[in-house]
Amino acid sequence: MKINEYYRPSSLEDAYLKLQEDSKNVILAGGLWIKKMGQSINTIVDLSTLGLNQISENKNEVIVGSMVTQRDFEKSEIIKGLFGGAIAFSVREVMGVNFRNIATIGGSIMGRYPFSDVICGLLPYDVTLEFYPKQEISLEDYLNYKGKLNAILVSIHIKKEKGIGFYKKVKMTALDFPIINFAVSIVNGKYRIAVGSRPMVASLAHKAMDYINGLDKIDQESYKKAAEIASEELSYLDNKDASKEYRLDLTKVYVKRGLEEVSK
Amino acid sequence: MIVTFYLNDVQVSYLVKPGEYLAETLRNHGVKSVKVGCNESSCGSCTLLIEGKPMMSCSVLTASIEGKHITTVEGIQEEAAKISRFFSNEGADQCGFCNTGFALTIYSLKRELKNPTDEEIKDYIVGNLCRCSGLYSHLKAIKAYLKEE
Amino acid sequence: MIIDKKKMKVVNNKTPSVDGKGLMQGRSYYTDDIAAQDSLVIKILRSPHAFARIKSIDVSEAQKLNGVALVLTYKDVPHVSFSRAGQGYPEPSPHDKFILDEYVRYVGDEVAMVAAIDQETAEDALKLIKVEYEVFEPVLDFEKAFENKSVIHPEDGICEMFPIGFDPKKNVAASYEMEVGNVEEELKKSDVIVDETFYTQAQAHAMLETHSSNARLDEHNRLVIYSSTQTPFHMRRILATTLGIPVSQIRVIKPRVGGGFGGKQASHGEFFCALTTLRTGKPSKCVYTREEVFESSYTRHPMKIRMKIGAMKDGRINAIDCRSLSDTGAYGEHALTVFMIVGSKVLPLYNKVDAVRFGGQVVYTNHVSAGAYRGYGAIQGNYALEATIDILSEKLGMDPKVVREMNSMREKETSPIFEIMGEGTKGTAMIMESCKLPYCIKRGAELIDWKNNYPRKVINDHKVRGYGMAIAMQGSGIPFMDMGSASIKLNDGGSYMVTVGATDIGQGSDTIISQIVAEELETTVDKIIIYSSDTDLTPFDCGAYASSTTYVSGNAAWKAAQKMKKRLIKEAAVFLECKEENVEFDGKTFTFGDKSVSLNDISIKMLYNKNLQQVSVTESYYGHVSPPPFMAAYAEVEVDLETGEYEILNYVTVTDCGTTINPMLAKGQVEGGVVQGLGMACFEDVRYDNKGKMISNNFLNYHIPTQKEIHKLTSEFADSYEPTGPFGAKSVGEIGIDTPPAVICNAIYNATGVRIHSLPITPEKILRGLKELKK
Repeated sequence: MKINEYYRPSSLEDAYLKLQEDSKNVILAGGLWIKKMGQSINTIVDLSTLGLNQISENKNEVIVGSMVTQRDFEKSEIIKGLFGGAIAFSVREVMGVNFRNIATIGGSIMGRYPFSDVICGLLPYDVTLEFYPKQEISLEDYLNYKGKLNAILVSIHIKKEKGIGFYKKVKMTALDFPIINFAVSIVNGKYRIAVGSRPMVASLAHKAMDYINGLDKIDQESYKKAAEIASEELSYLDNKDASKEYRLDLTKVYVKRGLEEVSK
Repeated sequence: MIVTFYLNDVQVSYLVKPGEYLAETLRNHGVKSVKVGCNESSCGSCTLLIEGKPMMSCSVLTASIEGKHITTVEGIQEEAAKISRFFSNEGADQCGFCNTGFALTIYSLKRELKNPTDEEIKDYIVGNLCRCSGLYSHLKAIKAYLKEE
Repeated sequence: MIIDKKKMKVVNNKTPSVDGKGLMQGRSYYTDDIAAQDSLVIKILRSPHAFARIKSIDVSEAQKLNGVALVLTYKDVPHVSFSRAGQGYPEPSPHDKFILDEYVRYVGDEVAMVAAIDQETAEDALKLIKVEYEVFEPVLDFEKAFENKSVIHPEDGICEMFPIGFDPKKNVAASYEMEVGNVEEELKKSDVIVDETFYTQAQAHAMLETHSSNARLDEHNRLVIYSSTQTPFHMRRILATTLGIPVSQIRVIKPRVGGGFGGKQASHGEFFCALTTLRTGKPSKCVYTREEVFESSYTRHPMKIRMKIGAMKDGRINAIDCRSLSDTGAYGEHALTVFMIVGSKVLPLYNKVDAVRFGGQVVYTNHVSAGAYRGYGAIQGNYALEATIDILSEKLGMDPKVVREMNSMREKETSPIFEIMGEGTKGTAMIMESCKLPYCIKRGAELIDWKNNYPRKVINDHKVRGYGMAIAMQGSGIPFMDMGSASIKLNDGGSYMVTVGATDIGQGSDTIISQIVAEELETTVDKIIIYSSDTDLTPFDCGAYASSTTYVSGNAAWKAAQKMKKRLIKEAAVFLECKEENVEFDGKTFTFGDKSVSLNDISIKMLYNKNLQQVSVTESYYGHVSPPPFMAAYAEVEVDLETGEYEILNYVTVTDCGTTINPMLAKGQVEGGVVQGLGMACFEDVRYDNKGKMISNNFLNYHIPTQKEIHKLTSEFADSYEPTGPFGAKSVGEIGIDTPPAVICNAIYNATGVRIHSLPITPEKILRGLKELKK
């Protein structure tokens, strides 16, 4: 792969200005996907020395620097303490340790990869992305944002709330992309359901969530019904990994199991 | 550009292209123990330790390791010999191509995890593909190696 | 000669691999590790079309690029047809390939070659080559290949070396028919007939070291090729004849090889290295990318197999009729021989039949070429046969284990198939001098607790465990065709230099041969220095294929060691001043009455003082039979009835491979084979888009088993001794891969009632089957 220049910025501002210089200037997060794409790059801007690799918390939220590696993220006691460890678990499903020591949380999110375990795993929680120049946008809004956001991801804010989560990646072998993935949570008594790799990027199943959160009494049938709604409201396609039909079948099973699991 | 780093505790400075990856740089400089099996961060053969953490060197830009400590299997010769004894005892070694990367991952596992379960061991080594062995023998060999320590 | 295993001190004992420690420590002896530092880097321009003719090709811009040393197209290379297959001579594969050709026959086929000072320059030069193609309609469905209007090999100058049913104008690479008894008549007599059709997919070898080669000229201007190959001697012959240079001008060296599995039986970049170095005088190297290994080397032959079995009510099988169609892709490497093994190393398992028939065609398509791959037809045939045996057993209302016990091969029995079917030719009759298959079946059943578990156990409302089994056989080399040889030289100090042509590709043959020699010479492995696979320095060997190394090359090494022992005693008699028959030798010391002399002493004296000479011996061996190893395999799988997902909780094998020369390496071969077989059964699938472009061309889209898919393997060996093998050994390299497709298919059926007729057995197929059952 051709890269003309390697640049280590002194500040976020410096990094941002460098990016503006040329459309072929890109951010180096983990760098794994840049290599796979094989595109030609003018200047690669390495954010690793800007101190964005910290995880901190305050009373209301956990703040994850965009350059935190997936491995540091999943191992963090702070992250493991969130929602019964569901978010940490979802990241552990990404490839092997020798990959996750390179890949960053920010890189996964910015790429909006359809197959992302990180995105699907974070989606059913209150997650906000902080950018430079200063801008805050929810993870869901970022996924729906049309076009490329001309900004640098600085940190990911996960709201601390009472709740628990479920994550399931359906795959052929451990080193695959998911055939489909599911994240279900119950936060402050409200259910949230995310389905990714359908094979499109993860989405929240709002109709299914509205249905189940609107019920007075919840039983086995409501889980089943919510799963059915999720299979109807989101779009699914055939691709090389699975048929649309199989993805629909899996949605009906795993959304139901996820709801059951978090309700225990 | 010139990149200076520590290769098995020895400071080295190499002239590299900005788009050059660490596995390529090291092999160009005679460190042939670093094996490239896929060159796209999927097989783990090129695994080495950067600041003590296992990473696939085919996908780390050499420019990004300025000032860092790199450990290749040359840096853990005694441990590698020990691991090979356990591999051999379980019938886990065959062609050997994945073994240097494997040795570094296993060495790191030992330092990072205390009393790991089978699942934790598997999670840790799953990124190192092996096409020859039955894989189960690796698990048994690693458990025996960890137990001996 | 039968030797008591209890008396063996090295063979059948745990011995570490001779190279295990060094390789783990990073000693750099793989092909690309020893390429000359200043090698020209070779890159290949590959076809974007599945089937096309090059109308025009302009390389002038590429040639002008600074740093480009050589550009070659079909106009610049010898137009001699050959086979890359890497087999003996004459090959049973058609000569249907040119180094570079006017036609390209699959996406990834070679169009042109560039050699440049570095990789970047070579890749830049590829982009400067302008090609105009006349694109043809490709043949992408092997069931539509026969007599298709697209003829994949319309060119002149291609041929078969002897009759193999080659008919390229009809897209037929090879065909074969055989019958013993009268199958139609016997089927009419049968009480129960089952008739089932199965599909097996293309599988990729996925060895971790990609195909690698490099070349240089030595000080005599001879061409020296380092190659990651399974067949160095065949490589030398094929290079010489195709390039039109004498064998004496080529040396092929095989360093350590990072896995082969059949994929490295063939030649890959070697021709380009040879041409580049011969024409430029400079060293060169060619290392395939992972994508090239997937897209432009080989796969296993995909097949359609129809298995018809007739049986009597009491469970006795009286007739088997097997028709098959095989897809060899763009070129016919191993087309006939893989095809024949679907019959010859599968059907004799049930040797009590009154009639058996086998036949069909191997067709060309515009897919990547199929070639040799561990299992080599046996895994395809085993899936079809062993799944059908289960279907038959159910129809008979019998336990499939009992049906197998009743009908399968036993010791001292034979099958007429052995004499009829060989390696593309007539076969060799043989009696099973060692066959512990009945024990393997019984012991495997105990290990999986068949009695209590078969067919299924319900775990909860959506999880159920299923149990399945299969049996298998393979061969040990090709009789009267595969030859191996070994030389042993005595060194001062009493160590032995052993040189063998046998090709260690990671399976451990250097260790096995060292053990055999050490055992015979009553010494230890550390006294053996082994050097293998260098066409200048080691004696001939056919190479590592057809499960031949332990049996064929091992026998050669054993014969050489026996000869060395006799020779040492003869020379010691000179020192002890007695008759040879009175000398006793314990590996270290020669004694005659109260006189003695050590091996160490005479080894030094014979170089400097007395009876001066170099003691060395050479022996060769070829098989007169090909004794099959046998196996019984069982699996426990847990299926999720709502999603079709399943886990393989335990895979049990009991193997009869005669004496295990090295028990740990034997286990490694069995388990490695099993896991590759599980890959084919469960996960792996070479897939193409509708234009013939491979979409499973990396490890993200081609799923080989990882640590997380393998929960438990239980591997045992039967106590067995093959009288024709070295210290009683048979082969063990391939047998492990044969059973998983059938075993998993049977276990899934027993768990769910869903019978999967095509590989891989995916959760999606299972769920679809479950939904159909509910209808």
